[in-house]
Amino acid sequence: MKQKHHDFGPSSVLMLLPSVFLLAVTSVYPFFWLFRYVCYDYNGFAAYFTGSYNFTHMFSDTVFWQSVLHTFEYAGMKLAIIIPLSLIVAVLLTQKLPGTDAFRTIFFLPTVISSAIYSLIFGFIFAVYNGPLNAALQAIGLVKNPIDWLGNAKIVMRSIIIVAVWGGLGNYMIFFISGLTGIPSEIYESCKIDGANGIQTFFKITLPMLSPVLKVILMLAITTAFKDYESILVLTNGGPGNRSTVMFSYIYNLIFAPSTPPQIGYATVLSIVAALIIGIVTAIYLFFARKLDDVV
Amino acid sequence: METSVLSTKDKVIRILLVLFLSVLALLILYPVIYITLGSFKANAELLVGGTHLLPKHFIFDNYVQAWKQANFARYTMNSIYLGTGVMILSIFATSMAGYVFARSSFPFKELLYSLFIAFMFVNVGSVTLRPLFELAVKVKMNRSLSSVIFISAGTGQATYIFLSRGFVQSIPREIDEAAKIDGCTFFQIYYRILLPLMQPILATTAILSFRAGWNEYIMPLVFTMSNDKLRPLTVGVTMLKNSGDGTAAWNLMFAGAAISIVPIIVIYMLFTKYFMHGMVGGAVKG
Repeated sequence: MKQKHHDFGPSSVLMLLPSVFLLAVTSVYPFFWLFRYVCYDYNGFAAYFTGSYNFTHMFSDTVFWQSVLHTFEYAGMKLAIIIPLSLIVAVLLTQKLPGTDAFRTIFFLPTVISSAIYSLIFGFIFAVYNGPLNAALQAIGLVKNPIDWLGNAKIVMRSIIIVAVWGGLGNYMIFFISGLTGIPSEIYESCKIDGANGIQTFFKITLPMLSPVLKVILMLAITTAFKDYESILVLTNGGPGNRSTVMFSYIYNLIFAPSTPPQIGYATVLSIVAALIIGIVTAIYLFFARKLDDVV
Repeated sequence: METSVLSTKDKVIRILLVLFLSVLALLILYPVIYITLGSFKANAELLVGGTHLLPKHFIFDNYVQAWKQANFARYTMNSIYLGTGVMILSIFATSMAGYVFARSSFPFKELLYSLFIAFMFVNVGSVTLRPLFELAVKVKMNRSLSSVIFISAGTGQATYIFLSRGFVQSIPREIDEAAKIDGCTFFQIYYRILLPLMQPILATTAILSFRAGWNEYIMPLVFTMSNDKLRPLTVGVTMLKNSGDGTAAWNLMFAGAAISIVPIIVIYMLFTKYFMHGMVGGAVKG
């Protein structure tokens, strides 16, 4: 039986007010503001009506479309490494191995550090001539000449992925651990009695049992990977050339780069397109995740 | 008991797995150790580089210099202000909102609640900082970090509202009823009865929101573009990288980065449970 316990009164309104105010000012207002300058060339002081120029310009803006490709490249590589790795770590950390608590604490540690600061630290580690990474690789004879981790167009994305995996691993590990602890232990025991080995148990029991949680984690991981750019701003600011420019770092520089006049109207158009791209990717993912449900 | 039934093969596998985890743990810890020990090295030693972790001589001069000459005392104060501000505002706003969403009933309640959750997923990047900055200038809030506090708390509040609402829902309604019979008003039930019971969730909110404020980077970067005095550590340290005297300031950047990460790591070590609980509760079950 459902009963209304407290009716809506002035105290409810007052108590909701701070949160609603914050939501209205910091999220709703800027969202609708976006559409205001879509057809304008706005440099922060004056706005000129330019009709559809922002849209036509977007289609011929190769740097933007490259940045879209780079976003997919970044998200794809990051997910391909971070999801399996964090799942493996999570499975290992639920096996009652010695030192489990300490490992958990260590692996989660990067998530409490600001991505700007750890990217700065990795900037030192990646330094070409005096960085510890090159020094270590040369000392054990893996490479002859120092590698330009952040300045070489061919490897810059991989270096950025290393940093992204370092920073995000703990997050997904904790998500997976919480999913794994939800699987009843009786299932594993009966599996053991049937003589299944670790790998069989993982693929036949753990993975299927985990799939509802896995779907949520994957969705979170996808949306996060597509909107990452803080770390890139600090590590390379999109360089060399535009090799590590992703959608949101490109947009950031259109508005806030100190060296060029802001192109705010154009940036709002790109932001809306970027949000749509992420929305479409998420929708496609959800569609396939549901299809998978029907099969399994 | 369980270990006694393990075969030799299983034991070997377990040792190998622990070894794998240990290597991974070292890789994860390396940047933190590197920056902390490096902050005690002389600038010349840092520039030579190499794989030596331990400084030849431990010197504290980097910290003295960073603190006195490079404005880091200021940056640190700003970071503390930012972190605590976001924390207080988040606890204040979201514990009440969570309570109202859990216990009150009014038209369009679910719609309003889903609006909070929906905006958690709408992400249009840094462009939203532009109207917010213009707004801050208009209401003359651009001369302090308070605007940054409001925005950080506002954009992060959905998770905490979600957590508080769930927590209040798990508290039996009989407690409310009894308090109501004793003459408590709707607000008094929250303030006198439920708030003390909500302690675990308040602690989680406090810790996660302090971390969010302390680690905030792009927003304070944009808001303090022309005002060095307002910069928090994250912005102050990374700014040194782009300033003209790049290599000359390595030691300052090391000290600054250490000042920025060590306090939050200590807090993390003390309250590990709350950090992890908040992450899991806020994300997976959402």
